[in-house]
Amino acid sequence: MPTDLFDSAACALAVTAEDGTILQVNARFTDWLGFSVQELCGRRFQDLLTMGGRIFHQTHLAPMLRMHGSVTEVKLDTVHRDGQKVTVLLNGNRRQLDDAVVYDLALFGTTDRDKYERELLNARKLAEALLQEKTATEVALHQAQAELKQAYAISQRRAMFAEQMVAIVSHDLKNPLTAIRMASDFLGRGERTPKERQLLGHIDQSSERAQRMIADLLDFTQARVGHGIVIRTAPLDFHAVVHHAVEELRVAFPKATLVHHTEGDGHASLDADRVQQIIGNLVANSAAYGDPQRDICITSRLANNACEVAVHNHGKAIPEALLANLFEPMTRGTDQASQVRSVGLGLYIVRELAKVHGGDVAVSSSAAAGTTFTVTLPATH
Amino acid sequence: MDLRHRNNVNVMGDGMATLVFSHGFGCNQAMWNYLAPHFTERFRVVMYDLVGAGLSDLVAFDKTKYGTLDGYAHDLNEIIDAYAQGPVILVGHSVSAMIGALADRLRPGRIAAHVMIGPSPRYIDDAGYIGGFKRNDIDDLLDTLDSNYLGWSSAMAPVIMGAPGQPELSDALTESFCRTEPDIARQFARVTFLSDNREDVIGLTAPVLILQSSDDLIAPVVVGEYLHRVVPNSTYCLIDNVGHCPHMSAPVACATAMHSFLAPWAVAHAD
Repeated sequence: MPTDLFDSAACALAVTAEDGTILQVNARFTDWLGFSVQELCGRRFQDLLTMGGRIFHQTHLAPMLRMHGSVTEVKLDTVHRDGQKVTVLLNGNRRQLDDAVVYDLALFGTTDRDKYERELLNARKLAEALLQEKTATEVALHQAQAELKQAYAISQRRAMFAEQMVAIVSHDLKNPLTAIRMASDFLGRGERTPKERQLLGHIDQSSERAQRMIADLLDFTQARVGHGIVIRTAPLDFHAVVHHAVEELRVAFPKATLVHHTEGDGHASLDADRVQQIIGNLVANSAAYGDPQRDICITSRLANNACEVAVHNHGKAIPEALLANLFEPMTRGTDQASQVRSVGLGLYIVRELAKVHGGDVAVSSSAAAGTTFTVTLPATH
Repeated sequence: MDLRHRNNVNVMGDGMATLVFSHGFGCNQAMWNYLAPHFTERFRVVMYDLVGAGLSDLVAFDKTKYGTLDGYAHDLNEIIDAYAQGPVILVGHSVSAMIGALADRLRPGRIAAHVMIGPSPRYIDDAGYIGGFKRNDIDDLLDTLDSNYLGWSSAMAPVIMGAPGQPELSDALTESFCRTEPDIARQFARVTFLSDNREDVIGLTAPVLILQSSDDLIAPVVVGEYLHRVVPNSTYCLIDNVGHCPHMSAPVACATAMHSFLAPWAVAHAD
């Protein structure tokens, strides 16, 4: 190559010995690095690199040149005489001479492109970091979901266990209660002083209440953990069944005034015991929350092949917020701690009993009109 | 575990003792092409690629396992168990010399002797110790690695990974020489250059041949001399060579030194 062409080439050129010792450089090379030809010849090419570049030269570049005889597009930082980094792209080629091997090196300045590539590299690193963060968040989310699922399963098992416990305990309470009632019956048959009669009356009423609570609990557990409440329907005189129930309730709630109205006429096919239980629960509810000075009105209606029983009391209006969940278990119309109330299952059981008959229950309540619970049942199930 | 697939293990030659060649940072087993042929007449020769390098199974690259050199030492012992016959002499270049030392410490007595080419137990200077580098030199190297994938790209990967055992294997090995998946290259660079194995080499009892290049930036003469001083049963041999790969640039000088060191095991074969 003519010397002027070599010197004025648009890239830095060098010829080195096999060990990297510079044998020849062009003017571009000396310009770029700020060293004279005399200073460069005899130095090793790799000594012009930054430390990272030198290690790379030793571990990658030199072995590759030996193995392949050439390298292309290797980006390296060289160090200018003034200490500034000059980023170059290196192509190298092995050339066999008669008695030795030399390497022809061509260097292209790439400082601006290097800046661009670094920006790309940084963007890539950022993207990778964000991805890693996202993945970590997803893993945490999955873990939280799994934990939640597990906690839910545990609480479900606990609820199931509690309900089964209630079923067992309620069932076991029936026997001692029956013994108490039998004993009080037996005592009531003999000669008693007025005071003793009064006390026996308390025992009767209290065990009656306890029995209703137990019945409620058993129905509740039947509805929740058993196979649902079972009914046995038979043709009956609806008004007569309601009348009978009201009669019995007058005994159970001696302080309340119960009034029974009938509307319409006809027969229905229902479970008489369950109808009585519905009325009992609604009356007990009215006795607890209604105005004790005023009547509790029970209306039985027969019309359009449907039976209806409505229980009305003059109580305070049930707050709007409570109405929505009034028929859920353990819900009370007010927060008053009344000793006449049961465990808060009465209305829930009313609704379950209505449903199992194919009917439903509704409530309307206002300060002016009082509170009315209306159970609608199909006359034939 | 299919070691042949994982580490691209290749066996050649025949002899009573086995030479296991373990390459260093940056390249693959093809770097032994200049030195290994000197030994296939008298030894069983086993060569392999470190996981992450050459034609090894990149799927096997577990960041945690290969987060320290112990992971590689563990692999080396597995390869010795599966492929070596008779006494085992480990020929380790650069970081593989330390992987060999760790493998020896994990299973004392299994490796009969070590040939360490350009070894360094610690690259970074420390109080009373010259390794040749400072911490930010290593960061600078990581930077250079980031700028040079050397033809590695996801499109290139299937070609490079190839299929071990195929006829074009040696072509693929030379073709993929010094090309490493960028993430793996970074981690291996960090593990290699930040490790400190000074304690591990001091406890070696097997005979050790140190092949030290006269001019080596990565493993300077002072480091080779240090090793010779602290490793009790070591032989020190200075090879007239510029650069970190005397087995490539001065294979005959290396082979000559090794033949005399390996004589006891080569004699065993003659029996």
